[in-house]
Amino acid sequence: MIDFIQNTVDGVMFGSSYALLAIGFTIVFGVMRRLNLAFGASIMLGAYMGTWLHVHYQVHVLVVAVTTVACTVLVGIYVERLCFHAVRRDAALASMVSSFVIWMQLEEAAIHLLPERTYAFPGLFAAGSYEAGPFLFRTEQTAMLLLAAVMVGALHLLLHRTRFGLALRATSENPLAAAYMGIHRTWTVLCAFVLMSLAGGVAGFAILATDQQITPFFGLWATFKGLIAMMLGGMGSLPGAILGGLLLGVVEAHALWYLGAEYRDLSAFLLLFAMLVSRPGGLLGQRILSREELAFRRV
Amino acid sequence: MLSIRDLVTSYGNIEALRGISLDAAEGEVTCLLGPNGAGKTTTLFTIAGILTAKSGAVVLNGEDMTRLRAAEVVSRGIALVPENRLVFPRMDVEDNLRAGAYSRRASAAEIAADVADMYRRFPRLEERKDQLAGTLSGGEQQMLAIARGLMARPRILLMDEPSIGLAPMIVAEIFDIIRELNREGVTILLVEQNARMALDVAHKFYLIEGGRITFSGSPGEIEQDEVIQRAYLGSRQG
Repeated sequence: MIDFIQNTVDGVMFGSSYALLAIGFTIVFGVMRRLNLAFGASIMLGAYMGTWLHVHYQVHVLVVAVTTVACTVLVGIYVERLCFHAVRRDAALASMVSSFVIWMQLEEAAIHLLPERTYAFPGLFAAGSYEAGPFLFRTEQTAMLLLAAVMVGALHLLLHRTRFGLALRATSENPLAAAYMGIHRTWTVLCAFVLMSLAGGVAGFAILATDQQITPFFGLWATFKGLIAMMLGGMGSLPGAILGGLLLGVVEAHALWYLGAEYRDLSAFLLLFAMLVSRPGGLLGQRILSREELAFRRV
Repeated sequence: MLSIRDLVTSYGNIEALRGISLDAAEGEVTCLLGPNGAGKTTTLFTIAGILTAKSGAVVLNGEDMTRLRAAEVVSRGIALVPENRLVFPRMDVEDNLRAGAYSRRASAAEIAADVADMYRRFPRLEERKDQLAGTLSGGEQQMLAIARGLMARPRILLMDEPSIGLAPMIVAEIFDIIRELNREGVTILLVEQNARMALDVAHKFYLIEGGRITFSGSPGEIEQDEVIQRAYLGSRQG
């Protein structure tokens, strides 16, 4: 029982960064109904910039954190301008394919930046842990949870208390009606990408500071985890992204403990498979069945 | 007040508007009648800056609006209440109203005062202010769409078929609202297929067919025109 609780808490802590990745995907999906496949790679390149400073100049970990987030935002803007702004509005597939291509480009850039592929990433604290009753918590993971909670809180305030948040939500609901209200779509989309990158940069830093190492494959990994968490919760739903991220973290933590490390990723895919079969819209996704689909089911 | 001269708008090679001229006078309800596909919505979209005119001019109080984009048009005083209402379904009523004021860059206090003003005008919306807009009835959604349009404090309100898809009793209610708004001095350009209802509220009519204005006149003149009688008012004499 203690193991179970311990795993669940560990899962929630690590899942909080999956939640941030999923939030990133879901913000842009909500506004554009498109997936930015280069998201993970943007975070990876941002983190590589931080690592580069760390490797060459031994800068403080906070400088690495700021560089990671700032560069992720810059790369995010680059991806938006190139794959989403430049591609015609109705060509959703073209945007996704070009974001995949940019993913490859970003990976190449990272490899050229730091050619030895695997590098140490500075931890936020010296790896430590503390006890609370029968439970043991890792300091970095607690910091990750707190960081994610602060991000989610800030995002919630931004979306529900500001004029910009209102514009973002209105555009997600109905881009045409939002345009009638005088809301600039291109500006809103660019801001959505900045938000996505902020969430991704923070998540990336928190995860890498826990793992204390980085490889170019981090991009692939982050894209997978973020997409799975978003689809578990329901695409386009912010509470869904949080729930999906935490659920993914908890299931992985249990799989890791009871079945072994090789089952960690497998459990994630099984979970996604089970969700897509039983609730295709995800936990909190909209019911996506139209009248025609309902009629078709009865035929 | 709003004056449109020789407006031509096309979708690709197809000219939807082939030179439309009309005037909407201050404090009046001007009604644009016409069959499906005649160019009524296209006219409103061109005025609102959602479509760009190929030639011609849209002038509001002497200011040329022809080349402005939607956001600039709204902030200069032309608000659109779209066909099929298009409220934001998963936002609550109050956020829908606030979204309507987006173009104004007004202070929070000013917007709160205007929201309160809308609630006074539409008490049904106040009862449902925390409800998601998608859960409102069709008539309530139309009220919300109108109130959202008014939140932009427009000098002229464009309304695209506010009666569409509503039960006759609710349609009567919506037209009462239009009459009431007009009595308070709101200038309205109304697009309608329900000519019978429009006859009671509008001061001036334009008939648009195949992208051209084919008739214009007062309600009295339109009632005397036999062709329009037969085609749009379903007259018994025909």
